[in-house]
Amino acid sequence: MRHPDETVLALHSSGDLSWFAAWRTERHVAQCERCRDEVASFREMRANLPDFAELPDVSWNRIAAEMRANIRLGLAAGECVSDGELPEPSPLFNKARAVVAFAGLFTLVVTGLVLERPTPSTVSASSEPMVQAVSHGIQRRAGDQGFGLMHAGVRDVDVIKTVSAQGTMGARYMDPQTGLVTMTKVYVE
Amino acid sequence: MWNKALTVAVWSAAGVFAQDSAISRDAVKINLPGNAPLTIRGVTMGDSRAIARGAALSLDLHMSLTLENTSGNRIHGVALRVVAQEVVLGGKGSVTYPSLNIGPGENLPVRIEMQLMRPSQVSNGPLVQVDLDGVLFQDLTFVGPDRLNSRRTLTACEMEARRDRDHFKRVLAQSGRQGLQAEMLDGMVRQSQSAQLAVTVKRSGRAVSGGAQQEHTTEFAFLKFPDSPIEPIKGQAQISGNEARWPSIEVVNRSGRPVKYVEMGWIVSDPSGHQYMAGSLPSADSDVVLPPSKTGHLLQETTLSFSVKGQPVNVQRMMGFVSQVEFADGKVWVPNRQNLDNTVLLKVLPPSAEEQRLADIYRKHGIDALVGELNRF
Repeated sequence: MRHPDETVLALHSSGDLSWFAAWRTERHVAQCERCRDEVASFREMRANLPDFAELPDVSWNRIAAEMRANIRLGLAAGECVSDGELPEPSPLFNKARAVVAFAGLFTLVVTGLVLERPTPSTVSASSEPMVQAVSHGIQRRAGDQGFGLMHAGVRDVDVIKTVSAQGTMGARYMDPQTGLVTMTKVYVE
Repeated sequence: MWNKALTVAVWSAAGVFAQDSAISRDAVKINLPGNAPLTIRGVTMGDSRAIARGAALSLDLHMSLTLENTSGNRIHGVALRVVAQEVVLGGKGSVTYPSLNIGPGENLPVRIEMQLMRPSQVSNGPLVQVDLDGVLFQDLTFVGPDRLNSRRTLTACEMEARRDRDHFKRVLAQSGRQGLQAEMLDGMVRQSQSAQLAVTVKRSGRAVSGGAQQEHTTEFAFLKFPDSPIEPIKGQAQISGNEARWPSIEVVNRSGRPVKYVEMGWIVSDPSGHQYMAGSLPSADSDVVLPPSKTGHLLQETTLSFSVKGQPVNVQRMMGFVSQVEFADGKVWVPNRQNLDNTVLLKVLPPSAEEQRLADIYRKHGIDALVGELNRF
């Protein structure tokens, strides 16, 4: 014989099952002494519940008064730290928040600039021709086109670089392969 | 399997966009004038490569030439003009050999290391053209087309070489080998202690993008040499932070001979007083001859920006001195050693090409080799 579980028996004892479930459970309980005893114990427990609801020596009025006092204290403390009325509920993006956000961002950028001390780029991204020293050589650049005379195999400290305001740059070094003083010059135009 | 296929596809695509090929001898055209005192004895291209990257072509040229002196005179200087597709790109340079002493029948080894980035579709003519621009002989005679003013450059180098050899011979005569040794060491120490400026030059406009500093006019101060044929009067440049624009100096010809070229040395100081050799301010090629007692202007419409080790060098003060004068007859004046024996110049002025060569001989081969080299002249 398959017995109904405790939940079904508990609901049956309080008359909370549906009509069909109640009829089927009643048929089983009528034939099964163990389930009948179970239902009887649930009914007895329900009968005793009003006694557990009685909580002796609890002053509900006193607890309510204490809660009201705590709420007033919290509101008074909030007014002390704010210099005005309590802010009204605001949307996610309002002017005040935007100002604060920009101020924070500005501070971050300025701090970054001061700490990093970025150097002005000596290489313009423009396509205007320029001459400059590069690693192991001097080079004319115009946009993505370049022309360089190199001094491979020579330490940079051993190279004397010369500049003419006319628009040329030169390098003078001892060529380790030829053993000769070599002067290279690149023209901006 | 798919991984292998993908790898093959990626490498194939890379091969399409970066094709590497050797540069042949035919890609370089070498022009020697008919009356040239030099003959080509050998050309090697070494590991010269051309690498195609998309629409661009990257050329890495390592060329060696052997030129023989076929004249009856000793050669003291050679200048070569190196041009890469001049019309299209404007890539122009020179490789110059001053302080030579090449006797008749002797060879001059030449090395040209060049890098070129250009559009790959430009394919007319040779990739590189090397022209002989001029040869200076021991007697200061010059042969060559002189398209790059090589005569003046080589003559000035030769004048400095004679000046410095005479100086070191004098030191040797007066103070012996120890004195010469001390003199060489002093020069090498000075050179090692001087910081070189990194300079960027543009023909016009501002060299640095986004420069926000206020531009102001700064006047030149001058170091004057008593025997200089040219005297600077006043000068100025537009300064903005580490940039100097449009330098201009007014000069007067104090000599009795007409002058056709003047070059001023240019020293800048940063706010902490540190001085650097910034460069030179030459008169423009198109300048007319400056007669005796007349004034003229050295003016260049360029912008120079200065930095050291990546940090900008803000220009606080500027100083100028006459570093080279060419007379109308082709003779060249350079400052003498007494003129250069100046506290400021000793700190910032680099050694001449000849002093650089002699110091290299001393460093590699010792004092005996240096004395032997001085006695060759």
